[in-house]
Amino acid sequence: MARQEKESRGLVPGLLSGMATTARTAFRPTHTRQYPDVAPDLPPRSRGVIALLADNCTSCMLCARECPDWCIYIDSHKETIPPASEGGRPRQQNVLDRFAIDFSLCMYCGICIEVCPFDALFWSPEFEYAETDIRDLLHEKERLGEWMATVPPPAAFEPGALEEVVVDEPATEEDATQPPEATR
Amino acid sequence: MTMTDLPMPRVGPLQEATPKPMRLILNWGRRYSLWVFNFGLACCAIEFIAASMARHDFIRLGVIPFAPGPRQADLMVVSGTVTDKMAPAVRRLYDQMPEPKYVISFGACSNSGGPYWDSYCVTKGVDQLIPVDVYVPGCPPRPEALLQGILLLQQRIASEQPASRSLRKKSYADRRAAAAVLSRPFVSAQDRERLAGAPSESDVSRGTSDASRGTGDVSRGTGDVSRGSTDVSGEA
Repeated sequence: MARQEKESRGLVPGLLSGMATTARTAFRPTHTRQYPDVAPDLPPRSRGVIALLADNCTSCMLCARECPDWCIYIDSHKETIPPASEGGRPRQQNVLDRFAIDFSLCMYCGICIEVCPFDALFWSPEFEYAETDIRDLLHEKERLGEWMATVPPPAAFEPGALEEVVVDEPATEEDATQPPEATR
Repeated sequence: MTMTDLPMPRVGPLQEATPKPMRLILNWGRRYSLWVFNFGLACCAIEFIAASMARHDFIRLGVIPFAPGPRQADLMVVSGTVTDKMAPAVRRLYDQMPEPKYVISFGACSNSGGPYWDSYCVTKGVDQLIPVDVYVPGCPPRPEALLQGILLLQQRIASEQPASRSLRKKSYADRRAAAAVLSRPFVSAQDRERLAGAPSESDVSRGTSDASRGTGDVSRGTGDVSRGSTDVSGEA
């Protein structure tokens, strides 16, 4: 079969078509991404690292309980807030002591972000956090909070979406700069 | 036991005494000619292959993916789930690599077992078997994350502080692990004592020890063959 095809097409046309392909490719610009020099254009909703907005966290433990890997560690304690006015009742509030995600174990499924009822966890597209010691891959509360600066703003509404967006509070300037807090 | 066990070429103690300019040149050469050996065990290997292809192309960084085998490689990238069944092979191929050698653990599975850390048959991180220089997080990590891990490793090589160097000198260099050391038995010794009736188990263990001593005798016997076959027959 192959011999018949070669005879039918001939050696010279085959060579010519091969050289034409080579010439075409040679003058096409290369598509190699120059990563260390040029920042990569990551796809939207890229899952790089999980950021924590500690102010929104009520230490309800939902994320830690839903995590398939059990890679979230939360410690908290209760504090009693004195009554705001005379004759009021003292209230209790959870205070977050420790929030850590073990990124050597995390499977980046995003379930913790989806179940968080108070929007305290966000995806960040950052991926440059390789470590030489595996213990450094356990990101504590402070380091998770630093990732918040890299969280992209939420995507714009689709063209046909409803114009009346239900927002309880009028958006302020602070909310505009920090979009995740707007829906609190 | 007929296998010839040649010693691996090592850098030796002279490396410590090398003058500093020479070490700079050596490190410069080492960091930009890392012949890589991909220990691809699962889906992370796909990302490794993506990093080696034209779009990300880590040959730009001096990582050469054409090592014919571990004996010609400088860098091992363990990408994927290391199972206990595979553990002896990982260690064996690491032992076959010549010094200086570096290891990148790529992805959650080889970092710490990943989603399978609770499985009975998964090694909880490849650093239980071999010293790891750079851990790249992700499940799987992006190809760019591997490139960043490579850059980090090159920085460490240039500053002469790979994480595993002291570790390797202490417990890995010239200590080649046999497969039996690394493979876990189906039932551990404590469990065996705890589980079943003690007398029968102790009988079994005594039996195996007898058997091993027996093989030892046999090997000694074959060694004595040159002196005369009567010794062997007498032992038998």
